[in-house]
Amino acid sequence: MKESQGYIERITRVNRDYQRLDLAVDKSLSSLRAGQALLVRRIDKDYEAERWVPYLRELWFPVEILASNMLVIEQPARSHFTPGQLLSIMGPVGQPFRFRQKLRNILLIAYNSTPAALLMMLAPLLERQVSITMVLMGSAREYETSHLPGEIEIIQADDDLSWSDMVMTLGWADQVFAAVGPGDELEHLGDIMRVMRERRNDVPANYAFGVLQRQLPCGVGACHACMLNLRGARKLQCVDGPAFDLTTLRLN
Amino acid sequence: MAIEITRPGKYSLIVSTPVMPAAGTLGFSDSYKGLIDYDKLGALVTNPVTIEPWNPASGTRMIPLDAGILLHTGLPNPGLSKVINRKRKVWANMPIPVILHLVATSVDQVKQAGSALDEVEEVAAVELGLSDDIELDDALALVEAAAKMEKPLLVRLPFYECYDLAPPLAEAGADALVLTAAPRGTARDIHAGRLVSGRIYGPLIKPLVLRMVGRLRREIPDEIPIIGCGGIHSPQDARDYIDAGAVAVQVDTATWAQPKMLERIARDLGGWIATRHKDALLDEWNPDMGHTEAIERRAPSPDASPDLRPSRKR
Repeated sequence: MKESQGYIERITRVNRDYQRLDLAVDKSLSSLRAGQALLVRRIDKDYEAERWVPYLRELWFPVEILASNMLVIEQPARSHFTPGQLLSIMGPVGQPFRFRQKLRNILLIAYNSTPAALLMMLAPLLERQVSITMVLMGSAREYETSHLPGEIEIIQADDDLSWSDMVMTLGWADQVFAAVGPGDELEHLGDIMRVMRERRNDVPANYAFGVLQRQLPCGVGACHACMLNLRGARKLQCVDGPAFDLTTLRLN
Repeated sequence: MAIEITRPGKYSLIVSTPVMPAAGTLGFSDSYKGLIDYDKLGALVTNPVTIEPWNPASGTRMIPLDAGILLHTGLPNPGLSKVINRKRKVWANMPIPVILHLVATSVDQVKQAGSALDEVEEVAAVELGLSDDIELDDALALVEAAAKMEKPLLVRLPFYECYDLAPPLAEAGADALVLTAAPRGTARDIHAGRLVSGRIYGPLIKPLVLRMVGRLRREIPDEIPIIGCGGIHSPQDARDYIDAGAVAVQVDTATWAQPKMLERIARDLGGWIATRHKDALLDEWNPDMGHTEAIERRAPSPDASPDLRPSRKR
């Protein structure tokens, strides 16, 4: 974990609802991997002129690494950013996603959240010839996907969280990563777990992972506000997450 | 520089700079390694520790507010013995004294903690955190029991009861008073659609606590140092606390928003205190010191350092 400065070098509108920010960052962040995030605070040119609104740093999951010191962040188009905006960046936050070595098919789920936390894995997985299916549930169904790589199969779930070919999709997946939005996230992960248990004989360990995106007060494991009670252990989202095996989480 | 932040006595705590993190903000040891230079701080105050393990709070734990946050963690910790076992090696290697923040709800718990902590030389002092709704008699009993420990005792007072508790607790054996714990408040969790209670942090807390520090400095004996804690977000905030009568300050959630701010406050305040009584020009400790201020001599002696003669026994 390190604090460094960066700035927004370019802003690109990728579709009606989303824009992408190219961030020039410290080279140490080029080792960032899918699953790891940044805690970002906008700063003025005069570092002293600090504003305390918003108070906490924002949790940003990069969606792509362009070069050794260039990360891409996806943000809603309604958020206002300016090229040249200086940023104070803490990172990397959390642990990279752990993929199976012989991964062939992966299922990504976004439930009441944008899939931004899952997007950084797309390019390296496609390079490894992994088939990717993305299911959008709840408010995530409004997510505009036209800018995502064409190789990815996109499925819109129904209101009851089911989708066509559900049994086949779940049976075929070697691993599942489900991103849920903040607020009642354990309940939402519980919904996903229930759906999987109804369609699969069993949900083994290291198969399905919930990706949490709670806002983090400290991000370094000091405040313990993001502590989770797992079966047999306590873990912190900021240090041990953001992905947790759904079989170990105490879901609502 | 040496600043005595507890009352003179057999057990007193001397720090090199009068700035430290507030309990609950920097973890149990070195969570901010790589982000903060601990060497620049006066001491480390640990996260709250209880005798038995405490679980994290269920439900919403943090709500962003305008220029602040509401926090309700439930003070999760693995219990005193596990904290000591897991952290004492790290504490031993820390360049600054460690102050363990103890949360105890009975005299027995304080005694139990005291006998355990007296054996832990890596802990330089104990800060006793009192709960918000504590009665005076209960608070007195806890402080009297804690004062028997062979370590300096800092007592962190609850926000709303601080005027009533401070004078009697100063007499009951507290070696320093920490003013104060963050006030409690209630806010709506927009995701869950319900009201949540917790402690409130942010810059707006500073003027409230600053007034308490000023008033209580006049009410309690001079030999009991006051440590200001609440809403400090800049070097000037910390200076204000010193001007109001605090001997040192604790910085809380500003560290989460801007980790380097804690270190900058420490560097600034250390330099300011070292030079202001001598009318010396502030040197270039850091960019915060762009200009000097004419400050009236207020110390009884031009030598700002505390009395370090062999201290009396209590």
